[in-house]
Amino acid sequence: MKHRISSLLLTGIFFLCAGCGAPAASGAAEPASLQFFSMDTVMSITAYGEQGQAGVQAAREAVNRLDGLLSRTDPDSQISRLNAHAGDGTAVEVEPDVAELLSFAQSVSQLLPGDFDITIAPVMDAWGFTTEERHVPTEQALSAALALVDSSQLEVDEAASTARLLQAGMEVDLGAVAKGFAAGEAEEALREAGVERATIDLGGNVTVIGTRPDGDPWRVAVKDPRNTDGYLCILELEDVTLSTSGGYERYFEEDGVRYHHIIDPKTGYPADSGLLSVTVVTANHVLADALSTALFVAGPEEALDFWRSRDDFELVLCTDDSRIIVTQGLEDAFQLYDQDGGYTYEIARR
Amino acid sequence: MRSPAADRRRPTLWDGLLALLVAAAAAALFFFLRPAESNFLTASIVLDGETIGTYDLTGLTEPVTLTVDQADYPLTIRLEPGRVCIGESACPSQDCVHTGWISRAGEQIICLPNRLVISLTGGQQEFDAVTG
Repeated sequence: MKHRISSLLLTGIFFLCAGCGAPAASGAAEPASLQFFSMDTVMSITAYGEQGQAGVQAAREAVNRLDGLLSRTDPDSQISRLNAHAGDGTAVEVEPDVAELLSFAQSVSQLLPGDFDITIAPVMDAWGFTTEERHVPTEQALSAALALVDSSQLEVDEAASTARLLQAGMEVDLGAVAKGFAAGEAEEALREAGVERATIDLGGNVTVIGTRPDGDPWRVAVKDPRNTDGYLCILELEDVTLSTSGGYERYFEEDGVRYHHIIDPKTGYPADSGLLSVTVVTANHVLADALSTALFVAGPEEALDFWRSRDDFELVLCTDDSRIIVTQGLEDAFQLYDQDGGYTYEIARR
Repeated sequence: MRSPAADRRRPTLWDGLLALLVAAAAAALFFFLRPAESNFLTASIVLDGETIGTYDLTGLTEPVTLTVDQADYPLTIRLEPGRVCIGESACPSQDCVHTGWISRAGEQIICLPNRLVISLTGGQQEFDAVTG
């Protein structure tokens, strides 16, 4: 009798092991994922490991905090307050990290004059890209808006954490840096929670942390600007941010002409620089975001010259004559997605 | 005093069979409860955080058209074997319609004014994230 009982006990233990074994194993491999709307886009955060759930929640809170500070459409945000006081002499108090971000954006305008300006907002409004009632503005409306674009008329005092717009009617829009800034904060929140492997996708601005759970680098696809169901390439990467700018997602057509949303601050018109998309790869989140916009406006020659002048980022450029130009730091990470995709590729060297 | 183990008889054939049966049952359970790695391409449609539909695109044999009337800007979703797109949308920006067809696991169509996301999962995912 005794051995029967022990056999039955053994049976129970076996079943228990089989029953628990599978979910326990999948629990270890199954990441925590969160998708939410913020900063006028969709954000997806996926984190692996035991702290995954705590990490994604902390990352979402970090992103939402910034959305509340940086949104131009939220009348209570710090940027809205800065814009509301344009020209009245008030130095508007902002959070220290917002002051730092404003200074950084100004520095990009100085590095790439004419290609990037966070005071472009009045021109974006003239085109209706803010209100979603998109249209070609009249020449009069456009020149009036362009006269208000000048980030040297933005004064930032990082020590006092204040900012001031010198001319009435000027407006700051941080659309070209906010997601990059948020990616940095989200990564910090994840790492503080103890997460070592994660992907952060803030509306196509992708940050990869650590490696995949199998130890391999993350595989990040770069969208084909001519066919959004296709890809230019796959990049195998660890611990970097990728930011892509292109005119293929937000645009409208009027009288048979397509107008996209990345405005050249020199002309007030959508940038037409010979590039269909620019992908910037770097460990510096906010630099990735700002440079993808600025270099899309700058064009392939200036983009590569700028890349040669520095060593803190790499590029994938897609030109309107169907070339993919990959800078040499990405040579080993790069795989052409589709040999028959209609593109040729070349490696740019220093 | 003798230990209880000393009372045991030698294992019989029945004990062996029982052990085999238990092992087989454990293996079967392990097999059936393992994480699903489906080769089916599935489209899930999430409106403002709530899943309003999940469709197996691999098993689809003919086109299906869905109308999402409860969205702020009503839209029409077209499902075909292996792919999905937003055919029409009353939203002002039309970015979701411009996205066109998607057919690979990991891809999404987003309609921001409606807070609607169509995501593809399953199958062989070739990448972990998409930039662009």
